[in-house]
Amino acid sequence: MMESILVTIPFGDMIHYLSGYTGVLFGFAAVFVLLAVISLPEKPVEIVFGTDGYSLKETPVDLAKFQRFMAIACGIATIGAIVTGDIFNFTLFAAFIGVLNIGIVAAVKNKHVLSAAFSYGLVVMMGTVPLFAGAAIIAATTGTLSIWELAAAGGVPVIAKLLLLIGVLGEGMAPFYIGKAEITRASGAPYILMIHVSSLLLFLRVVEILLTV
Amino acid sequence: MIEFFAEMDIIYKIGLAVAFIAIIVAFSAIVRQKDEIHLLIIIDLIEITGLVVIALLATDLAEALILPGLVVGVAEIMAVSELWLVKEGLQNVRPVRRLDIEVLHTAPPIIGALLTAYGIFLTGFTGGLIAGLGLALFFLGKATTENFLSSETASGYAWVLWVLAFLIFIFFPSQWFLALMAAAVGIMIKVMAKIALVGTMRGDGS
Repeated sequence: MMESILVTIPFGDMIHYLSGYTGVLFGFAAVFVLLAVISLPEKPVEIVFGTDGYSLKETPVDLAKFQRFMAIACGIATIGAIVTGDIFNFTLFAAFIGVLNIGIVAAVKNKHVLSAAFSYGLVVMMGTVPLFAGAAIIAATTGTLSIWELAAAGGVPVIAKLLLLIGVLGEGMAPFYIGKAEITRASGAPYILMIHVSSLLLFLRVVEILLTV
Repeated sequence: MIEFFAEMDIIYKIGLAVAFIAIIVAFSAIVRQKDEIHLLIIIDLIEITGLVVIALLATDLAEALILPGLVVGVAEIMAVSELWLVKEGLQNVRPVRRLDIEVLHTAPPIIGALLTAYGIFLTGFTGGLIAGLGLALFFLGKATTENFLSSETASGYAWVLWVLAFLIFIFFPSQWFLALMAAAVGIMIKVMAKIALVGTMRGDGS
């Protein structure tokens, strides 16, 4: 079951594709990459508690540069995960997004942010195992990882789908780590947004994959 | 999936059982452990045992997934442990004294230059290794205040060159010789930069 395919990009025996659904996701990711490229970092305002006073915090230039690089790389990895027609590449891009999400917040010199990022990093590390295990079981039982062939032949075991989903849940965990909200309160607003965008799109894409294969 | 297990050799079943016991032990250790650095190490252990399960379950083709699993695992543990070092304020900032004897002033540049020249002549992985050894020796005789960032930058561009060579292989197969040379030079610089970093490791100087 492959829904209406708009574009195919053959790359050797891997055929990347954009359907109507993933085309929308692609456009969304591309807009946010563009935003990360052109926008300047925010200046967070901190209200002094109990008074009318407030202070403006400047984001240091080197931190902003690092965050921008990480955000752009994360956006490009997201686009890769969206257009790929191969589960192997999808798992690699998902793992890549996990590492880059850590990278976006890691440069912030704030103990709370770093502590939240560390906990998230542990979850990401655990997430890679079910991610690759799911892909390995699909390859072992069906003999292929191409979404095109899997869509035609079927026969993907439910356990493999489940493991793939758990893996993506682990990798795209960041915005849901709201118990440690500091991870999203780190300074550098347009770049921090990429954490949300990448995990949202990763979830939407894995749903499409699981329904197709 | 059930038949898949049924027709499996007995040795794989035993291996799987052992690996799953190891995973259960590791997870129970996580529940008990509260110290962050130990959590990090135990989670790495879980990753390794998970890869053991993949290795036992999968066919030859699927075992190709172990390598990216390992690489991604290493990348993640490096990123997270670096984060932990920053968080705990444990980064080493003190300058380290080098061994100040005369032979370290004279010999490293000469031997290093010879090895590097020979390595560049060889190109490829072997050449990178030999040239990298030369550079490592050269750096051993230097203070650690050198600007090592440039060698890391060179390593990054070398990687780009290597990827470009692969794209040439795929899209313009007739230009294979150019691609081969570009890949050889790229991998040489990449390996050289990595080996040379060994020469910059000095411990914590205490």
